[in-house]
Amino acid sequence: MKIGRKRKGKAEIPTSSMSDIAFLLIIFFMATTKFDVKEGIKLVLPQATEKQEGETKTLTLTEKEMTRLQITADGQIVVNKEAPRNIESGVLDALIQQKVKVNPDMIFKVITDREAKYSEMVRVVDRLKAAKIEKISLSTN
Amino acid sequence: MAKIVNKKSREANIPTGSMSDIAFLLLLFFMVSTVFVQEKKFWVERDRWPIAESIERIPRNHTSTIYVMRDETILIDDVPTRIESAEDVFVSSTLILKKTEDPDLIVCFRTDKDTKYGVMSDVMRQLQDANTLVVAFETQQRQN
Repeated sequence: MKIGRKRKGKAEIPTSSMSDIAFLLIIFFMATTKFDVKEGIKLVLPQATEKQEGETKTLTLTEKEMTRLQITADGQIVVNKEAPRNIESGVLDALIQQKVKVNPDMIFKVITDREAKYSEMVRVVDRLKAAKIEKISLSTN
Repeated sequence: MAKIVNKKSREANIPTGSMSDIAFLLLLFFMVSTVFVQEKKFWVERDRWPIAESIERIPRNHTSTIYVMRDETILIDDVPTRIESAEDVFVSSTLILKKTEDPDLIVCFRTDKDTKYGVMSDVMRQLQDANTLVVAFETQQRQN
């Protein structure tokens, strides 16, 4: 009996759809990749006073140079020596603009009562940041 | 008379031979650059953060998160602590170590909006002691 030798076909991996697969994977990664950044209000705290001993100078600032925004425990705001009152964000914006008009280098000192809500402090700092105020002093008493 | 020869226009082809190489290079880039951030627990949910408008984007790679909860519990690296007195220096000692590892450290606060400011003030004072002066208060974006 004659044994016929079978011709072996060349083994090949089909690669024509490789780029389709790769592009599908790319689309998946592009769609699912999330560049994880945090969002918030950034501030730079002053250095601790102990570390500057000997270098510290006591400056007396007038109302023309510094505005005190004191947040009371119930969320009211005392502007300089005025009576405490509830100030809406829009009114606060106008007040800040008014102060900046008088002195473009105005320093805003935010003094928050220990019993006041943290969100109240954030609201005031947010309005100051929105008005592009750079000189913000945050009291840590 | 000159004979006008109709020129055979060549077929325009875009070479696609290296397409899969490009695709795989891009794929490798995305696979290498993708970081799956896993946080053990979100101690203060996003909807408890205060709302603000003028927020900045803070890159995650130099940040350390401090959670401050409504009951005045502070969490650094998922370790709960409280500041009862000036002798409680866990926050500042932890931050001194972190600051040594990363001099560009930014401390991000994830604080419950109803937390009393006093505890935040105490933490910030400890931050000053640790010379970690750049802070960020994480907020929700105000929806108009």
